[in-house]
Amino acid sequence: MALLEIHALSVRFGGVAAVTDVSLVVNAGEIHGIIGPNGAGKTSLINAVTGMVAPHSGSIRFSDQEIAGRAPHLISSLGLGRTFQHVELFGDRSVFDNVLTGFYRHQSYGLLAAAFRFGKAGQSERATREQARALLDAFDLAAYADTRAGLLPFGIQKRVDIARALAAEPKLLLLDEPVSGMSEAEAAAAVTTMRKLAREHGITLVVVEHNMHVLMNLAERVTVLNQGRLLATGTPAEMQANTAVIEAYLGDAA
Amino acid sequence: MRARALLILAALALLAALPLVATSYYLYLAELAMINVIVAVGLNLLSGNCGQISLCNASFMGIGAYCTALCTTRLGLPTLIALPASVVVSALLGAALGYPARRLSGLYLALTTLGFLELVGIVIEEFPEYTGGIRGLKVPRPDIFGLALQSNTALYFFVFVLTVAAVVVGYNVRRSRYGRAFDAVRQSPFAAQALGIPVGRVKVIAFSLNAAYAGFAGGLLASVVGFIDPPEFGVLTSIQHITFIVVGGLGSIAGSIAGAVVLTALPEVLRGVQEYGELIYGLILLGTLLFLPQGLVGLVARLEMLRPAKQSSKPPAKEPVYGAS
Repeated sequence: MALLEIHALSVRFGGVAAVTDVSLVVNAGEIHGIIGPNGAGKTSLINAVTGMVAPHSGSIRFSDQEIAGRAPHLISSLGLGRTFQHVELFGDRSVFDNVLTGFYRHQSYGLLAAAFRFGKAGQSERATREQARALLDAFDLAAYADTRAGLLPFGIQKRVDIARALAAEPKLLLLDEPVSGMSEAEAAAAVTTMRKLAREHGITLVVVEHNMHVLMNLAERVTVLNQGRLLATGTPAEMQANTAVIEAYLGDAA
Repeated sequence: MRARALLILAALALLAALPLVATSYYLYLAELAMINVIVAVGLNLLSGNCGQISLCNASFMGIGAYCTALCTTRLGLPTLIALPASVVVSALLGAALGYPARRLSGLYLALTTLGFLELVGIVIEEFPEYTGGIRGLKVPRPDIFGLALQSNTALYFFVFVLTVAAVVVGYNVRRSRYGRAFDAVRQSPFAAQALGIPVGRVKVIAFSLNAAYAGFAGGLLASVVGFIDPPEFGVLTSIQHITFIVVGGLGSIAGSIAGAVVLTALPEVLRGVQEYGELIYGLILLGTLLFLPQGLVGLVARLEMLRPAKQSSKPPAKEPVYGAS
């Protein structure tokens, strides 16, 4: 079953075409890789899907709803989460606060309840704090709970970014270069965690990478972009055998 | 944690005992300081946490002051109804300004709020039959259930209790989903949106909440002083409010309190040096901004770092393996 359907999507910045006529389908429960060299349009594609840039044309359907051009927070509220290539943490808040913030859309108490701590507010806060602690444990971040997020090494910040995105309980999570800046061992461990996540929480993952090796062990299907256009879609093995892909991408990596 | 609770209790006890020793003048000064604390807590939520600048904070103070004055004199309402009414009116006007201003930031927002300040000033001057125009307005002493607070001590406790309540509310909001959303919007609007936080609406909420605080403080100020002086609601007062939170510490409740108290007391302390008072005030302000970028609370944090490190405050030495569990 298709969870995310992108059809003939184009993204332009002024006269520059960042994404041209890209179509792809992500099925519920799969781990889908998007790969391409720098400037291939990967991040522009993510930004269009999450509503952070308006697409020039084309359609984006998520959970059977057209989301192209909708406000980012509305798209997120449908269950489409993302992480950032250059982590966008709330730098002067603690790691714990960062993850707590991720629960925003699952808390519903109003401002008056918050101000005077009546009704659902107290109970909701207690429950959410417990969930946040569990999430920190699952990501081995408990030791950093009280540390200001901006002071942490990049690799750990990336982990906080993923934990925070998961707090919003997305159906589909777009990971923008989740292992960049990580050591090889960290990256391997990250891949294991991502696979575990997808399986245990039933989250569909779209992993954007420029490193083919990461996706080889992770993705079930891979979409290859080059210069803003779709080059090929298939299993990782098929992609490695595809001459067009090798020429455009693997050729200069090998 | 327990040390902090003890400190707060001790401070509250001292403040409660103040009427036993202080003269009526110092009680009045303490009341002004507490009203400034309310203003600073509100403004810090908007500027320190949500990152939105406002040059019209004094206007909302004025709106609250006139609203309280008119409710008590024209409508004959008791203070305990006039004050909440002022809060509601200010909050609504705050939302009305915050809605179109939600897409603005930086200089554009500064100028928009400055325009609002001018507008409120003109309205005050143009409707003298309600506002008393430039001559101002007399305001009766606050009353509780029909009993006017005639003694200075009663008035002091009235302000004291309401200030504590306003600070507690600020603390609650800061630790709620709204406080976290304010911080998120300031630090990374992109990440906030990606988490489903409606950035525009959160800014409007912050504006409205700040206006409610300023309106509340304004109503209280009018009742305590007994007179409304229109020039007080000008841009200089707005800037003074900003110095409270910058000197105290942006984004911090303790900073709001420290900044408001220190800067209200400072001119009094400096009275002894007469004409050099303003000079020294300026130097202290400049020194704080240059050498204490985190404000007075930052100074406390720095002093704490000088003490031998405790187990809990040290970052963990060993880095856990990612995804090992």
